[in-house]
Amino acid sequence: MPRYVVERTFPEGLEIPADAQGARACLGIVERNADDGVTWIRSYVTGDRSKTFCVYDAPSPEAIRRTAGWNDLPVDRITEVRVLDPYFHF
Amino acid sequence: MASTIPASGFELLERTAELEALAGALAAVDETGRGKLALVRGEAGIGKTALVNSFVESVRGARVLRAACQPLHRPSPLGPFLEIADGVGGELARVASGGPQAYALTAELVRELAAGPAVVLIEDIHWADEATLDVLRLFTRRLATVPALVIATYRDDGLTRSHPLRALLGEFGARALRVPVVALSPEAVAHLASESGVDPGVLYQRTNGNPFFVTEALAAGGSGVPETVRDAVLARAARLGADARQLLDAVAVVPPYVERGLLDQLVPNADDALDECTTAGMLRVDAGRVGFRHELARLAIEDSLQPGARRTLHRAVLALLLEMSGDVDPARLAHHAEESADTESILRFAPEAAARAAAVGSHREAADQYALALRYGSEVEPAQRAGWLVLRALSCYVTDQSEETLESLRLAASIYHELGDDVSEGHARERLSAYLWCPGYVEESRAAGLHAIALLEPHGPSPQLGAAYDQMAFLADQGSRPDEARLWRERLLETSIATRDVELEILSRAEGPEVAFAVALENGLIGLAGSIQQEVAGAPLWQRRYEAADHSLRAALAFHSDHGLELYRQYVLSWLATCAFEQGRWDEAVDWADEVIRTPRASISPRILALTTVGLVRARRGDPDPWSPLDEAYELAMRSGEPRRIAPPSAARAEAAWLEGRDSEIAELTDVAYALAEARGDGGIIGMLGVWRRRAGLPVQLIEGVGEQHALEIQGDFAAAAALWAETGCPYEAALALAATDDAGSQRDALDELHRLGAEGTVAAVMARLRRTGVRGLPRGPRRTTLQNPSNLTTREVEVLRLLTEGLRNSEIAERLVLSERTVHHHVSAILRKLEAGSRTEAVARASTLGIF
Repeated sequence: MPRYVVERTFPEGLEIPADAQGARACLGIVERNADDGVTWIRSYVTGDRSKTFCVYDAPSPEAIRRTAGWNDLPVDRITEVRVLDPYFHF
Repeated sequence: MASTIPASGFELLERTAELEALAGALAAVDETGRGKLALVRGEAGIGKTALVNSFVESVRGARVLRAACQPLHRPSPLGPFLEIADGVGGELARVASGGPQAYALTAELVRELAAGPAVVLIEDIHWADEATLDVLRLFTRRLATVPALVIATYRDDGLTRSHPLRALLGEFGARALRVPVVALSPEAVAHLASESGVDPGVLYQRTNGNPFFVTEALAAGGSGVPETVRDAVLARAARLGADARQLLDAVAVVPPYVERGLLDQLVPNADDALDECTTAGMLRVDAGRVGFRHELARLAIEDSLQPGARRTLHRAVLALLLEMSGDVDPARLAHHAEESADTESILRFAPEAAARAAAVGSHREAADQYALALRYGSEVEPAQRAGWLVLRALSCYVTDQSEETLESLRLAASIYHELGDDVSEGHARERLSAYLWCPGYVEESRAAGLHAIALLEPHGPSPQLGAAYDQMAFLADQGSRPDEARLWRERLLETSIATRDVELEILSRAEGPEVAFAVALENGLIGLAGSIQQEVAGAPLWQRRYEAADHSLRAALAFHSDHGLELYRQYVLSWLATCAFEQGRWDEAVDWADEVIRTPRASISPRILALTTVGLVRARRGDPDPWSPLDEAYELAMRSGEPRRIAPPSAARAEAAWLEGRDSEIAELTDVAYALAEARGDGGIIGMLGVWRRRAGLPVQLIEGVGEQHALEIQGDFAAAAALWAETGCPYEAALALAATDDAGSQRDALDELHRLGAEGTVAAVMARLRRTGVRGLPRGPRRTTLQNPSNLTTREVEVLRLLTEGLRNSEIAERLVLSERTVHHHVSAILRKLEAGSRTEAVARASTLGIF
């Protein structure tokens, strides 16, 4: 399955509280993604929380956009990526 | 009020969660009045039947209808549903006894179950015949309005990629509750083994916690553990007396169970032996039928029989079945005839079983039965053999076995040729022509059609000749040769009048499509009715009358879905994708297209369009990998050599190249299709490709039939083109034309519109081109104004919201938009969130305050 980096912008800043409510929000996203075969691997968030770089396994870019719609998440750009491991050769 | 009580009476270990899931589903069905499908799966012997039995025993206040599919190579068509109908009686039994089409049986089943909560249990659907799967598919599509919990069980080990069940499971998608049944834990195995003296560790290791294997191994006795399930079953059987063993062997050759009356004749005075077998837990007696406790045990016993003894038993069963009064299923007779190596009986019953299977739409089984008869084809007259080949070809075609179809027809045609039977040969070649076209063998298709006409014409007007004219007219239309098509249609009409054949009358559309449609329905010619529906539904789309197309395509989709016309359904789905795509509703377009791409099919046209749509959406959005779908579509289309199939992916590839700034490649990408269209004078295609060729600086000669929008662009009047595109309802094309004008304000408007459409790939391409031509003052990078409407709803969400205002429930919305209920649920949640509404009513109110519509 292809892997994608999805860039998202949150003009007001991303707000996921570090409590049960936040956990519930994340699990809800994971569950909805599963309906379309999309797996959220992890995200990197900028210091001001206005932008995220999210790593996903998904069957297609369309699946990324569809689940983003379900989760009410913005999509700026989707890039297909492969893993490059700097320590692989050591 | 349906409820479930805790199962009792026998020990079912580690199945609490599964039972709770099923009970929860039934409670939800009862509460909402909406049906649900539950798929119970697991390997052979894992305890699927034990689980559903336990569940069914606990059901209170809901009726239970159940049946199982048969473990035969060629199962009786509709077997499980006929069994259910038999048990229910009344109108359902009447419909079922008439050799019904899947949609008719489904409709009656829906009526029967409309009243109250019910559990419909179909076991072992990995063995189901095609018609049974069709009913299951159609019934499941209508479940939203039927208060029934449908439980289907199947083995998930050894389901090949091409297994017919696969496609169905894909279609069920997220709508179904999935209940995997997994192996027992080491603790549970140890618990079961606690009084046996068997080493629980060895037992677990060897059985992998498979409950059937565990039970058999323990029942085999002794302190060792048999190596395989088969060894365990045989060890257990070896402990029976000689009479009981003889009975066991007899029951083993009559899958899935044998009637008491038949068994009494097969093995006289066997009451004691039967008692012994049931007490030992090997056999079960249920409603006057005797069967094995598990198919794995039956297989083990049947396989252990000596070939001679096995054949003798099958012969005896066949002889007894032939003596039985009443209607004996020919599939059953053919099975025993084959096992008896009784050629005469095979040649008699296999074709009979095939005809019965084909009549109810079990074409896979019909094709297999004909194949069985044809194995002994040298024993019958050539004409008989050729007749079976043609019938086999029809069944193979419907089940997507393209190569077998063509081979059977070629063979049949050559047999008829040797016999000098022109009319039959002509019919075979006409069918060959029809079936060669779908997978893209266009030239061969045309040759076969002309050959058919040459054979048939000397014999005067006939239904076969009329069908051949219709086929040639179709090929001429597809090949962009309208004048030729007209000539064939005239001949079709003359033949129709001369023969007064009802199918030709329908094909000729002499009284218009509406009358033809009604006549087809009256005569039960559903396939023909579907093809007319198809023609009527597509017309507005080709004329860019989008509002009418949205409506007519959905109506056609509903008709095809209800009547199980899967191939037509694929075409309509791909057209719905095109229709939404051209109107700028890309989320929706991709949803439709994905449904086509998911389904493996030999017919290439729907796939070409769906792949083209997905590829272009990616290119315009700037999403990864637009070329894989576009290249696949182009390759599929090239195989056919037809301009109408090649043009859409050619134009799409030209656009994708243009978006990437590789204008110099546009000529090469469109040359083939453009030359074909020029040769055939197909203006529609010239326009579609011409706009891109002109952007690449190539000369374009306008001819009759070029769409006005395309013509304006090709003449360089982009402002007028943009206005006309906008008026037509194609916002993307309008924006792209606007961006090509010289006016800075228009260019900025175009970029705004492209942002609104989510076409970030196109925005980047357009800005790069404008900068190159010296335009200054453009916004840097995409703006954050991708607002589609005041509340940032997507087009699909607006569509769902519109249906919410009509007061529809999720299930009804799902049906209307042909989405899964799960997806609708997600859309509704998103709508509530975005509108900050606490309820659906509030959302509707906010929608009108915000002026979303």
